[in-house]
Amino acid sequence: MGIKIVPRYGKSLKDRLYLPAIFSGMKTTMSHFAKNLKDTSNIKTECYPEMQPTDITSRYRGVHRLTHRDDGSIRCVACFMCATACPSDCIFIEATEREDGIDEKMPSLFNIDLLECVFCGGCAEACPCDAIRMDTGIFSFVATKREDFVLNREKLLANKAFRGEL
Amino acid sequence: MATITVDGKEIYAKDDATLIDELLANGVNIPHFCYHPSLGKDGNCRMCMVEIEGKKRPQIACDTPVTDGMVIRTKGENIARVKRQILELELINHPVDCPICDQAGECSLQNYYMDVGLYDSRLDTPKNRKKKHIDLGANVMLDRERCVLCTRCVRFTKNITKTHELGVVVRNDHSYISTFPGTKLSNPYAMNVIDLCPVGALTSKDFRFHQRVWFLKPLEAICDGCSRGCSLFVDHNKEKYKDDVVYRYRPRFNKDINGYFICDYGRLSYKKENENRLLNAYIRGMESEFEYALLKMERLLKRYNSKTLFLLSPTLSLEEIYRFKVLSQKLGAQISGFDENFDENFEDDMLRKSDKTPNRKAFAYLEIKDDIDSLKEQIKDKDFVLLVGRDDVETIENLGFEGSVGVMNYRDFKQKDKLDIVIPTVSHMSREGCFINCDNFIQFSSCKIDKNLEAVNLLSFLSTILNDGKTTCEDVWNSGLGKMNFLKNIKFKSVKTNTIKIETK
Repeated sequence: MGIKIVPRYGKSLKDRLYLPAIFSGMKTTMSHFAKNLKDTSNIKTECYPEMQPTDITSRYRGVHRLTHRDDGSIRCVACFMCATACPSDCIFIEATEREDGIDEKMPSLFNIDLLECVFCGGCAEACPCDAIRMDTGIFSFVATKREDFVLNREKLLANKAFRGEL
Repeated sequence: MATITVDGKEIYAKDDATLIDELLANGVNIPHFCYHPSLGKDGNCRMCMVEIEGKKRPQIACDTPVTDGMVIRTKGENIARVKRQILELELINHPVDCPICDQAGECSLQNYYMDVGLYDSRLDTPKNRKKKHIDLGANVMLDRERCVLCTRCVRFTKNITKTHELGVVVRNDHSYISTFPGTKLSNPYAMNVIDLCPVGALTSKDFRFHQRVWFLKPLEAICDGCSRGCSLFVDHNKEKYKDDVVYRYRPRFNKDINGYFICDYGRLSYKKENENRLLNAYIRGMESEFEYALLKMERLLKRYNSKTLFLLSPTLSLEEIYRFKVLSQKLGAQISGFDENFDENFEDDMLRKSDKTPNRKAFAYLEIKDDIDSLKEQIKDKDFVLLVGRDDVETIENLGFEGSVGVMNYRDFKQKDKLDIVIPTVSHMSREGCFINCDNFIQFSSCKIDKNLEAVNLLSFLSTILNDGKTTCEDVWNSGLGKMNFLKNIKFKSVKTNTIKIETK
C-alpha cells in the first residue's frame, strides 16, 4: 500500500495565534449580519415548513409517479426495465394480460418501497415507454408505518407532475 | 478432414460437412434464423452470409459444403454491410415491441442488431400490421408481426412430428404463419416450436408474462417425467422477499438421450416443484415439529429394526437407493422397489416412454426386487413400512398390511391422518443424484435449488441414521457405490459432466 505524505500547514506564529483567522471569519459573518439586518427581504433562509421551496427545477428527482396514456389508462407495460436498472431492488412488479385491447401487457402490481429507494433516477432513465417519472416535486415523504412507505400502483398513478402533466 | 481458413485462422473441418456447422462448432459467430441443426438448411433468411474467396458474391454458410483449402471471411466492411442490409430487411415490418415481448433477452433479432445492425431506421412509411397474440393451441402464442418467416416451426411440424399443422400463407410481406382453418396446433411435442422460434413470434402461453428471461438462472437437470430422462435446463429465480420459484424447463441438447427436444408433458412438469408441496411433518395425523419428527423416525427405525420394510420409489436417485440398501442391510430389514406407475398410452416412438419414473433401472442394477410377488413375501412378517418418495398407501393396504406406516415424500396427499409418521423431503430439483434411463444411460442431475421449506434431504437423513457423515453424492460413490460391478469402469467425475452408457453383459 502506498503512503501519501500530506504537507502540514499552520506552523507559523500568525497561524498558531488563531486570532487573525477568527477575526477574518467574524468579518464575513458580521458583514452578512449587517446586510441582512438592513434589508430582511433578501434573506436566503426559508422558514420551512411554513414556507415551501419555490426553486424546484424540472430535473429534480422527487417521489415517483406512473404516467397515463392519452385515454387516461396506465402507460406502463410491465417490461421490468426499471426493476432491472434499480440499484436497490426496490421496485416490485407483477405483470398480467391486458384485456382492454389497448396493449397486451400491464402491471397488476407495481410497488416502490421508498425506504429502500435511493432516488437515483435510474428507473425513469431506463423506462422505454416514459411510464415512470420522478417529476412530482415531492421532496419530503412522511409516514408513520413502514408499510405506508410502499407506494402501490394506484398511489403512483394518482401522483401528479409538479408542473402539470406534459 | 479438410482444412479451411476462417478470418486468417485455420480450422480443421469434416469433409462434406456444412460450412455453418463447422463454423458454429469452432465458436465463430454466424447470425442465422432459418438454419437449425435438427431441421437442416432452408436458405430463406439469408442471414448467414460469408465471403468465400473465389466466389463472386457472398454465399450462405448453411448451404455451402466444406471443401479443402476454402478461405472464408466472416468479418470486414463488405460482409458487415451485407448482413446489416439483410437484418434491416427482416426488421422492416417488425413492431419493435420488445417491452411486452417475452422473447426479449434471448431474441436473435436483438442479438444480431447489437452485433451487425446498429443502424438508424430509414423507414418513413407505415409498417404492415398483422394479428398479435393468437392462441395457436398447445400452450403456444403466435404474434405474426414479430415473425421473420424462417419456417423453423413449419419444418418442425413437417419433418419432426410429421403432424403438418403449421404453414405459411399469403404472398410477399403480407405472408404469415397459420394453422389450417378450424384446426389447432396439437401434438405432444408442440411447445418445442417456442424454443425453435428465434424471435418472439412463438411464445409460451404458460410462461407468458411470468418473468423476464434475464432474471432467470439456468441449472442443468434430468427430467423425472418418464424413464427417458431427458436433459433439461431448469430456469429458476428467487425474487426479493420471496421463495425460489422454478419458472420453466427448457430442453438441453444431449445427443444420446433427447436431441434438441423434450415433450410438453415433461416441459410442464415443473409445476410440481412449486405446487402441492408437503409443508409440515405429521405424527399420527397431528402436525408436528420438523426436528421432532426426524428424531421420532430415527427411534421408529431403531424400534422396528429388522421388522421394517422400505418401499422405495423409482423416482429416487441411484445414490439414495444405494444408501437405503446399505441401511436395510445394517438393520436386517427388507427393501422393495415395487411401483406401478406405467401408462401405455403415454409411450410414443419419439421420446416418451410408458414407464413414468426416471430411475427404475437402478433397482435391477442394485439387485433390489421390484415385483409384486416378492413384495407380498417381504411384507408378511413386517410391523413398519416406510414409503420413500411415494405416498401410495393403498398399495400396501391392498396387500392386507396392518402395521405402522410412514411416508417420506415432497408432495401433499390425502391420507395423512391415518399414518404414523409423515416427513417432507426435498423435491427432485432440490437435490443432486444420478439416474439410469431406459437405455442404460447414466446421467447426473446437478440441479439443487434451495427452497425455503422445512424438508429433509434423503442423503443427509440417511447419513444421520447410519452415522457416517456421507451426505454428498461423491461421498456415496466413494463409500462403495462406485465399486459396484456395473459402475466399475465409470468415474463419478465423468458422470458429473457426461452421459455414459452402462455396458451390460
